[in-house]
Parts: sequence; C-alpha cells; structure tokens
Amino acid sequence: MTALGKIDSSNLNGGQKLAVKYFSVAVVLFGAQVLFGLLAGLQYLNPDFLFGILDFSVNRMVHINAMIVWLLFGFLGSVYWLLEDESGIPVVGLKLGNLAFWVLTLAVVVVVLVYLLVQVGAGSHASIWLINEGREYIEAPRWADIGIVVCVLVFFYNVAATFTKGRFTGVGGVLVLDLVALAGIYLAGMWFTPNISIDQHWWWWVIHLWVEATWEVLVGCLMAYGLMKTLGVRRKIVETWLYIEVALMFGSGILGLGHHYFWIGTPEYWFTIGGFFSALEPIPLVAMVVHAVFDAGHHKIRSTNHPALAWIIAQAFGNFFGAGVWGFMHTLPQINLYTHGTQWTASHGHFAFFGAYVTMVIAFFYIAIQKWRGNVWMSGGLVGAWKWKWALALLHIGMLTMTMALLTAGYEQSQIERAIEGSSWAGYFAAQGHHWFIQGMKWRQIGGWIFAAGFVLLVWDLMTIGRRETQPAKSLAE
Amino acid sequence: MIEPVALKDFFLTFFSAAMVIMTGGLYALLFAYSRVKSRPGLMPLAYAAYAGLFASVLALAYAANLLNHGFWIGIVLLMLVGYLLAPHAIWHLCVGTHRDELAADAEPAEVFSTAVNSREV
Amino acid sequence: MSKEYWWASESFWRKNAIWITAGSFLVLIFLTFDTVSQITAGGKRVPGYAVINHRISYEFDDTRNFQVPVIGVEEPLFGQKLTEEEAQALVTRGKLTTQAKNCMNCHTLLGNGAYYAPDLTKAWLDPSWGTKEVREELMVEFLMNPQDRLHNGLGRRMPNLGITEDEARATVAFLKWMASIDTNGFPANFVSIDQEN
Repeated sequence: MTALGKIDSSNLNGGQKLAVKYFSVAVVLFGAQVLFGLLAGLQYLNPDFLFGILDFSVNRMVHINAMIVWLLFGFLGSVYWLLEDESGIPVVGLKLGNLAFWVLTLAVVVVVLVYLLVQVGAGSHASIWLINEGREYIEAPRWADIGIVVCVLVFFYNVAATFTKGRFTGVGGVLVLDLVALAGIYLAGMWFTPNISIDQHWWWWVIHLWVEATWEVLVGCLMAYGLMKTLGVRRKIVETWLYIEVALMFGSGILGLGHHYFWIGTPEYWFTIGGFFSALEPIPLVAMVVHAVFDAGHHKIRSTNHPALAWIIAQAFGNFFGAGVWGFMHTLPQINLYTHGTQWTASHGHFAFFGAYVTMVIAFFYIAIQKWRGNVWMSGGLVGAWKWKWALALLHIGMLTMTMALLTAGYEQSQIERAIEGSSWAGYFAAQGHHWFIQGMKWRQIGGWIFAAGFVLLVWDLMTIGRRETQPAKSLAE
Repeated sequence: MIEPVALKDFFLTFFSAAMVIMTGGLYALLFAYSRVKSRPGLMPLAYAAYAGLFASVLALAYAANLLNHGFWIGIVLLMLVGYLLAPHAIWHLCVGTHRDELAADAEPAEVFSTAVNSREV
Repeated sequence: MSKEYWWASESFWRKNAIWITAGSFLVLIFLTFDTVSQITAGGKRVPGYAVINHRISYEFDDTRNFQVPVIGVEEPLFGQKLTEEEAQALVTRGKLTTQAKNCMNCHTLLGNGAYYAPDLTKAWLDPSWGTKEVREELMVEFLMNPQDRLHNGLGRRMPNLGITEDEARATVAFLKWMASIDTNGFPANFVSIDQEN
C-alpha cells in the first residue's frame, strides 16, 4: 500500500474503481451545466450575446441535459461504489460494466458536440434520430436513447447478478426493483407522435416518475448505505425505514404524477387526483423530520467524514425547502393555472434538484475521495478544511440567490403575464420587461457567479482534500 | 371543479402554502424534540406550531377557494387531521422500529459513539 | 429482548412497500388507459387533425367555469381543405419541425418547455397577428425570417433556424391544431384575435 493521502486505486475494490470513473465524468458534466447555465442567464440580460452562434435554446438544452446526465453518472457511480460492500462479492461482469461506461461517456461527448455544432435539423424523422429530439430534458437523439437503455441494462445486469450471486440485502432488493423501473420508464419517452397531448402525457412518465419516484428511492438506498457506513446504524433499522420510505415515496409519488396532468389536454379528474396527492406530499417530509430528531436524540453523531456528513445534512434541508416548501407553494391547480410555465417552475426546479440530488451525489464524491486516498482522516481539524466549508457555503448562497431571484420574477410573471394579460404574446413581454423581472434576472446571474465560484472551489477541494493528512480515519468498529 | 385564485389572493396563497410546510415541519420538530429529550414543557410550543399550521391551512383554503366545493373541503379536513396525527404516528413507528436498539442501551457499545478522537471538535 | 410490534417489523413494511407500489401503479395504468383514450386525436378532448379546416376559437364555458376551444365554421388553413389523412400528415410534419428546431428550449407548449419566449398553446389565436386575414401568411414569413423583425422592446429575438416554407406552413398547421386542444382553461383570461367576419 502506498502512503496515506496519495490517490491510489489499489485502495479501491473493482466496483469502486469503476465508480470513480463515473464520478470524474460527473464532475466535468457538472461544470458544463454551470457554464451553460451562466451563458443562458447572460442572454436574459443581453439578448445579443452569442445570438446566432450559441442561441438560448442550445445553451439551455446543454444546461438541463448536462444536469440529468451528471446526476445519472453520479447515481450509477454511487451504486457501483457500494455494490461489493453490500453484496460481499466482487462485481459480476465488471469488464462489461467498464465497457458500458466508455460507450456511455463517448455517446455523451458525441451528443453534446452535435448539440453545439449542428444544433438543429430539418423537420424530419432523421433529425430526431440523429441530432436532437427537441423534448425538454430528453433531447438526446433516438440513437443515444437506445445506447442509454443498453448501458443501463448492462448496469442492471451488474447490480442484479452481483446481488444474486452474493448477499441479497434489503437495500439490494429495493435497488434492483428500482432499476427495473428506471430502465422501463425511460422507454415511455422513446417514440414519436404528432399528438402533443399524448407526447406530453408520456413525457411526464419519464420526467416525473424518474425524478420524483425512482430517483428518490435510489437516493433512499444510497442514504441507507451511507447511514450504515458513516454512522454505523444497524442494518435492520435502516432497512425497515427504507421500506417505510419506499411506501411513502411511491405511495405519494406515483399518482402524484397527477399534478402534471392539469393543463396538457388530460381529463379534469386529474385535478382531484393531483390535489389529493399534493396534500399527501408533506407526510414523507414530516416522517423525515421526526425520524431525524429521534436518531439525533438517541445517538451522538460522530462521523469519520465531516464533508460527506455536512452534505447529507444539507440534503435533508434542501429536500425539505426545495421540494417541499417550493413545491407546495404552487402545486394546487387553483394557483398552478397561473404559475405553470413561468419562472416559478424554474425557481422550484433549481432548488429541488440541488437540494434533493446534487447534495447527495457530492456527499458520495467525498466518501469516494476519502477511501481513494487510503481512508485518510477527514474529520475535525482536517488540513485545509476551509475549502470544503466555503465550497458548501458558496454553492448554497449562490443557489439561494438564484432561487429567490427566480421566485420574484415568477411571482411578477404569474400576476402580470398570466392573470392580468392572459398569457398573450404582448402580456408575456410586458411581464418580461417589468423591473421586478429584470432585477430578478440580474440577481439570478449574480447567484450564478457565486455558485460557479463554489463549484471551482469544490473541484479544487475534491482534488486536494486529505492530501497532506498523515492520520488514518478511525473506523467505527474500533 | 376548481375556482382559480383571484389576483388579490396570490400572495396569501403562496404565503399560506409555504407556511403549511414550514409550520408542519416545526410542529414535527418540536414534537419529536420534546419527546426525545423528555421535555414535556416544549409540547405546548409544538401545539402552538400546529395552531399555526391549522391557521395556514384555513388561509390557504380561503385563498384558493377550496371551501366552496365538497371534494376540496374533504382535502382541507384531511390536511387538518392528517398533519395533526402524522408526527404521532411516525413517532410510534420510530419507537417501534428502534426497540431492540433502545433495549440494548445498557451496553454503551453503541455503534455511533466509537469514533471519538482527540482531534474531534 | 423485547417483543417486536408487528406494525413496526421489517417484514410488515417490506410487504407494505410492495403492495403500495404495485397498487399505485395499477391505478395509474388503469387511469392511463382512460386518459389516453380521451386525448387520442379525434377523441373527446383532442380533436382530429382535420379540425384545421375550421375556425377555432377559445370561449368561456359557464358550466365548466373556464375557457374552452370551440370549433366553428369552415375556415380552411391556407384556403385549402384537407382530408383527415392530409391534415395528419401536415400536422405531423409541423410537430417534427418543432422538435427538430428545438422550439421547446425557448418556448413553452401547453406550458411545458423553457421560459425565454412566449407560450405557444394559443399562438394561433394571439392578437399580435393583427387580423385573421393576414395571420397565416404573417406566421409563415415570421417563422422563415424571424431574426431581423422587431419582436419586443427587450431586444430578445428568435434566431433563424433555417425553417423552409413547407416546414413553416406545417408548423402553422400544428399550432392551429394545438389551439383546439381542451386544456382545462389554460391559459386563463386569454383574449383572442378577432375572428368574426
């Protein structure tokens, strides 16, 4: 074994070696998300900026696609990270898994290059097969969709076969079933129809059921593993609570799809379904609060990895505010009629994705880097701890600034464009020219720069944290 | 049947909806804290938070015109009762699922408290 | 060791998780069949594509308490009456164009998409097109050469996306057809272009 604090892959098991590859690409794509978000934000302030070269539509597409893909890479990496630990045996079919990683990464690079260099095509099937499918979040052309499904199937094979051959734990069981849903639901978004109502009906299956159901449960599995590893909580308790969480998440989340079916041509009964499940939304949050207090009251929380624990705590808060408070504010159809499709949605989207998912994946980055450097000390008194603390602070300040700025803009937009002017073209621009909106866009950009600074610091920290430490982390079992 | 929010009630709608979640969270927090630390003195505060939650739900119901239609009245009642009982139910679940662990409290070999180190802040 | 409560046991919650998930999913499948049948073109809520042969307006419905699309007198798009098949082919081309040109990453359609440009749900009925006589041709011209037209006081413009005349006409057909979808009153308080003769 090499010196403590040096990055050395011999510190990792097979699955973890693959995981750090996924994490590395995820960080690069995270950077792309931030960069193209900044460009798109600047275009609100100066519409001539890059006009005709990299139009808003292109920047925005890369911004949101990079997010989906980097979070997905983060999740795949996190699952490979825990796979051998959890199942007790080496990953089955690791070579195939490695191949799938390279294929997926290459596909992502080609897709992004085509987005940037070709941008749009003629109105034909060839364009949506080769260039861009033009459907928000799932713009990836059809050939790439098929590639993604194949790679996810390889991933599924790795996970399912490893658990089957090794130890099939509760976490493993939930994970495997969740991955079936993850791959299966993606297929719902993979066909063309001229009917925009049918199109958006299935599109929401992918977007909502991925983001608000299968991803949530995936994060639940990661959290369960994280709690056992970093805090040493007993497996039986963790798994019971994972099942409770699955029941609450899927119970409120699957039919929670209803709150997206108010205005796309779907029948009026979705008002009642959407309304009912919106009222249930706070229950999982209440469960989280009570259980967290219960645990904190009964145990002294001591962690061997302070940055990871801080990001996990940030996840709890981010999820509560970003998904909970920001979601509930405009989820009822009576108000959603006026907020749907305004900067309200952008405000909620930014905060919720960051709070619920980005935080979790960053926590795993820190868990990974600790082991990669030979399980180095990462608790109190860590050398250069200011970096992770400031990165966490700047990312949060930046995100909160963006969220509040977009909220202000959306509030104005819902009143002037929607309620008063009735969403006409003239009403839209009247709202976009209002000083609340313009101020909002300026502050959003400031928030974006702060966030970008936080990102740079985060990357620097991930590359250097623990490098000069000489002490190993105390294991929980000692 | 829905009756959209009137322009004058936009702010009230957003604010009361946000307060539903915030007071709901606060109620759960105080409730659980009071129980876990065995400080019954805090319990009135928890119920004060629930009173805030109750008021927020009613304000939301008023602003979003929920009280004019049978189905939506049902939703309001569900929220009022459900949010009151949810922390109780979850608390029982916590106690129930952690029984083994709590019973083993006599042995201080609790899994959490082992990472003590002089450098720990 | 104390006795375990059945309602707090691992196996009880494992079963619960499975049953709740499966139950919710079954209900969703059931609702999906019903919903899809209602939103299939030619169904109750989404008219067949040949609706573009008719005037489409958006009027307040007292019993439903919001605005709904109303299909009116014959008013063929570009003065040319199409069969259902021809209309479907045209709208299909238009929909393909909106996807290939990535409209949704600036505009919203039925409220979904990006927020850099106006919602297109009722673009066909927008008063900005002036009169109904010039609307169709104005839309086609605009789609083909939007980059140097004055859109608004903010300097925000639509780029030239290389839309051909055929694609532009098909896109207008798609937009007209989309305006006929029953969206439960979204957008609210919309004031249409004057379409009376």
